[in-house]
Amino acid sequence: MAKTILAVDDSGSLRQMVAFSLKAAGYDVVQAVDGQDGLDKAKEKTVDLVLTDQNMPIMDGLTLIKNLRELGSYQNVPILMLTTESSDEMKAKGKAAGANGWLVKPFDPKRLIEVVQKVIGS
Amino acid sequence: MKILPMTELRSLLATVADHGKQHLVEVEADLLQTTFLLSEAIEKLGVSFMAVHEAVTLQQSVLNSLMMNHQFDADEAKKLEEFKNKIGEEVNAAVTGLQFQDLTSQLLARTIKRVNGLKDLLNELGNHSDGIDPEHEHEEIAKFLDEMSHSLHAGSRALSGGLRRSVDQQNMSTGDIELF
Repeated sequence: MAKTILAVDDSGSLRQMVAFSLKAAGYDVVQAVDGQDGLDKAKEKTVDLVLTDQNMPIMDGLTLIKNLRELGSYQNVPILMLTTESSDEMKAKGKAAGANGWLVKPFDPKRLIEVVQKVIGS
Repeated sequence: MKILPMTELRSLLATVADHGKQHLVEVEADLLQTTFLLSEAIEKLGVSFMAVHEAVTLQQSVLNSLMMNHQFDADEAKKLEEFKNKIGEEVNAAVTGLQFQDLTSQLLARTIKRVNGLKDLLNELGNHSDGIDPEHEHEEIAKFLDEMSHSLHAGSRALSGGLRRSVDQQNMSTGDIELF
């Protein structure tokens, strides 16, 4: 059974490229348009990996991670940030919030899949 | 007593504010139009990209079927494999390139916020100019101008503080990856 990845990003084009890349590698993808939508969809069904942007309206990525980590079912689910932010300060905040990794946009599909496979397997 | 040209100063401040605002309204309109055009462009590119990929995938299935049922010589089979790999590489490059709108829209949104902040500052300048009375004593007017200057500095600081730079990328080369 294919593993499911929740992709959270307010940019439709970015979500489209993430979903395209992950589906081509055999993963199921659930998409969310902001942190709140991501949280709602994560509660509906526990996914195998969360891939989230940082700067989004309504709820940002760091707040989403903090909220997810408070849910029992998401304490051990890997969460990766995929963002334009690249400062050490933001990475430290992400790590403190509970992120397991940091990917700076734009992403290369091949490298994205390698990281996802490393974190949750094929 | 020396008479200060307060009427002229008031008029100058109001004119600077009005002209500045007019230009900023034009800048904002152009930025919003650019944002819209980029959004339209990426949507169309995304749809075309998906359609081309689907067609190429189907074409590849037909080729795979032909290769299973017919005898191809080694050179032809090698060429087909090279084309397949080349297409894969170009698809990956296109996926990276198609992320431009996410980066540019963030930069444009930040610029639009700054333009709006500048319009607020010019409004402040225009509003202050209304309060200058030519009958005021020199010290009072100096105090008034000083207050206006402080108010503009505070507005400028608030604007900069609310506009943290979130996109440092200077080109479309792919970003770093770090696992914690």
